[in-house]
Amino acid sequence: MLELRINGFGGQGSVTLAHLLAQAALENGEQGQALPFFGVERRGAPVRAAVRMSPATIHAHSQCDRPDYVVVMSEKLTAAAVSEGITETGTVIINAPHAAAVGKHPTWQVDADAIAREAGLFSADGPFINIPLFGAVCRVLNIPQNIMEQTILHKWPGHNGESNLSAAGKAYSTVTRR
Amino acid sequence: MKAAQVIMDTGAHAAALAVKSARVDVIPGYPITPQTSIMEAVAAMVENGELDARFIPVEGEHSAMAAAVAAAAAGARVFTATSANGLLYMHEVLHMASGGRLPVVMCNVNRGVFAPWTLWADHQDSFAQRDTGWIQYHCSSNQEVFNTILQAFRVAEQINIPVMVNFDGFAISHCLMPLTLPPQEDIDRFLPPHSPEWRLDPEYPSSFSNVTNASEYAPFRQMLSDDILASIPLVKQAAQEYKDITGMWDGDTIDTYRLEDAEVVAFAVNSMAAELRLSIDILREQGIKAGLLRPRLYLPFPAEDIIGALPQNAQVMVLDRNYNFGHPGGILASELKNALFGRRSDITVKNRVMGIGGIDLTRRFMAAEIRAMMDD
Repeated sequence: MLELRINGFGGQGSVTLAHLLAQAALENGEQGQALPFFGVERRGAPVRAAVRMSPATIHAHSQCDRPDYVVVMSEKLTAAAVSEGITETGTVIINAPHAAAVGKHPTWQVDADAIAREAGLFSADGPFINIPLFGAVCRVLNIPQNIMEQTILHKWPGHNGESNLSAAGKAYSTVTRR
Repeated sequence: MKAAQVIMDTGAHAAALAVKSARVDVIPGYPITPQTSIMEAVAAMVENGELDARFIPVEGEHSAMAAAVAAAAAGARVFTATSANGLLYMHEVLHMASGGRLPVVMCNVNRGVFAPWTLWADHQDSFAQRDTGWIQYHCSSNQEVFNTILQAFRVAEQINIPVMVNFDGFAISHCLMPLTLPPQEDIDRFLPPHSPEWRLDPEYPSSFSNVTNASEYAPFRQMLSDDILASIPLVKQAAQEYKDITGMWDGDTIDTYRLEDAEVVAFAVNSMAAELRLSIDILREQGIKAGLLRPRLYLPFPAEDIIGALPQNAQVMVLDRNYNFGHPGGILASELKNALFGRRSDITVKNRVMGIGGIDLTRRFMAAEIRAMMDD
């Protein structure tokens, strides 16, 4: 069973990212689970969500306290996210314009803000970084690009899917191991 | 024959989809976190015509259950849902549903009770309704929520007793997982239309639940007590026939995992009991012969099935997500000891309370707790 935790700020789309990843697992012929932590948080407060993927039925229902992967939606959360728990060899996937490796953890970096803005995915509140991050995480987890695309079109059929596809595809091809 | 469909959805939406599949007639509803997602989903289904039912928005949970009682007495198939203090507010009317022998089915999405406020799961709310005369299931997965609601309608309508289907807030209700939806024709075969033996009919007015003398009241109460116990074979039959039709099985009155040769048995309900399967695997890797016994039915308490399933000389570690105030420990442990007393003197029962107000219960934490309990 693969366990992943998303650490973000309220409003960055962590729940949708978790749902997309769980759906991608299903599209990829596996079982998936998205378990966001819902609190009394406000926009801008730290939030987290658990994602699990497995070929077999998933029985876990706790938050991921020692995930294999941690997705850091903002550089400001790096230290807090890692201190919340990760396996010794756990991988960090971080949204940042530039990034160094986080401790001894294998670290992948993607500029989700820039990719989202370039694709026109933003509102007055900021860019929709969860879409490029979905593409980046699919790449890191070796989920085929066509499964990633299928998942996006399942959630946003038709025209809305187009800009999401291009942003996720860009992240898929540019996410880099540091 | 149509194939089953697999979708990704939350536990709350699994409940709403089961309500739709059960072709429910009347749904009185009032929102409360974390149950609200169920009512939102069924209200939308009624609004967009997917579900041919009457949705009655009411001003509180006491009224929600009162409307459910009235609709059930008029012969409708009725569903409602609540959580925590909403369930406590219904308490008086729960007795009207059971005493009136009305087969209402209700989801209670488990949440710790006020005060102080908490949003997250523990099991004080449902266990506090023990003496209301409702049958109570507790579910440990999204799929089991869907399956159990259908089984609950069948049992309720066979024996004219209301059924509460409980599952954890957030850990199940807001958890997105694969959900298998059997073809509707299979569900219709499992759950035929509701045809009550009697109903209130405005064309032929009559009264119902009138004042009784003790000589009439006492037999009604005795019948309710007897029939609640008599629901156990119906619960088993519903689980078996549901399996025969859909291929899905969550256990009947109990569910077990690696129990046959177990020396240490974890005993718990709801989502923590799903996670406990992983704790059992951890303990087995450490050389401890561990197993799991999960009661699906809390009421009637499946004493005979538990007694029959526990291996000889087992140490039973009861993990209670609730308090049995006035006693050290939790309510499940008390129920289990009651069932075992004078029947299985070879069994040792140990108990800890944990996970109150949604404190996260991981597989590693519970495995460590069980190890520590071996020395209690």
